Amino acid sequence: MSELTTAQRSKIRRLSQPKELAPDEEGGELNIVPFLDIIMNILIFVLATVAVTFTATIDTTPPASKGSGVRSEVPSEALNLTVFIVNDGFSLKASGGNIAPGCQGPGAGITIPMKNGKYDLEALTVCAARLKGSSPDFQDENQVYITANPGTDYQTIIDVIDALRASPQGDVLFDNVNFKVPK
Amino acid sequence: MTQPAPGGPGGQPPAPGPKASIVSYKAALRKATRRNAHEQEVNFLNITAMLDIMTIILVFLLKTLGESSAAVPQSDDLKLPISLVKTPPGQDGVLVTISKTQIIVGDDKVVTLPGRESTSQTGVGARYHRNGPNDLFIVPLGSALQSARRTDKAVRTAKGLDPSSSEAIIIADQTTPYRLFIEVLFTLGQSEFGKYHLMVMQGKKTN
Repeated sequence: MSELTTAQRSKIRRLSQPKELAPDEEGGELNIVPFLDIIMNILIFVLATVAVTFTATIDTTPPASKGSGVRSEVPSEALNLTVFIVNDGFSLKASGGNIAPGCQGPGAGITIPMKNGKYDLEALTVCAARLKGSSPDFQDENQVYITANPGTDYQTIIDVIDALRASPQGDVLFDNVNFKVPK
Repeated sequence: MTQPAPGGPGGQPPAPGPKASIVSYKAALRKATRRNAHEQEVNFLNITAMLDIMTIILVFLLKTLGESSAAVPQSDDLKLPISLVKTPPGQDGVLVTISKTQIIVGDDKVVTLPGRESTSQTGVGARYHRNGPNDLFIVPLGSALQSARRTDKAVRTAKGLDPSSSEAIIIADQTTPYRLFIEVLFTLGQSEFGKYHLMVMQGKKTN
């Protein structure tokens, strides 16, 4: 058997080398960097949007209209607190009658007048806590009625609900809210 | 056959020997190719599968958020009031939206509202009321709610829930006047909706 010549050896050496692929021939990989950029932007946008819209709900029942409507059963010795949101402030009414200015006892007038042109929500919380603490019979009561002037903003209603819900110390005051139809 | 010795006397180049056969040449070429071949190196990470998964998760997330009632689009026409309440939003109930300009039940526009001055005095207006301006029942809203109530009743029965009354999720703009708000609540009550969830935005008060 004849041996390989030098030329044949050289040719074999050349042909047996692994072929180096040109940069544009390497497996046809897609450039996904722009795609990744878009995905990351969308992801950040979605997460940021979700963080902004943290919502909650306040549960309530149909409003009482002129003495009728859905109401929870309340005992006769209940406080039966009603908050009227009027243009000059808050007027509070309980089973004993209208609460006098200063929230000290029964009497006519605006119970909590406006302060510097704004509704005094802190005073409302203090007054609600005082009324609830005025008798041991009221300790388990958590129902409050709210009514307002026809033009009162929804945000003001929600502020009042928040003020009546709990004391600054975190004690639950009146977290069962019902609405009344303004007369 | 004898081969001439390489580098013969006199410094002459060796005489070329006879050429090898094609078969031998090809066998030698295959052998050399096998010897030089090396396994292909993994010089990049194949993330296509991971991208597929990420895209599917993203689409799923967007779809879920879009369908959730907790996702309330905020605009100039509808800004939720801010509250300290942290009760998680209820998912069950017919969606009633009160924006600055319209009342919507589900996805259907029911009533176009007049300006705020008018709504704070007479609500949606006398022409939409059942018995004159002092009535609280909004007729177009009541009709839409009756249809929604029928559907919700069937859904509640199928789910094994109490079908005697339905629940509503109320999304109202923060400037909605109390008069309009109470008209909507009253109409809901008349349409056998017994419990309402008032949607608010969690947050701290600025004043």
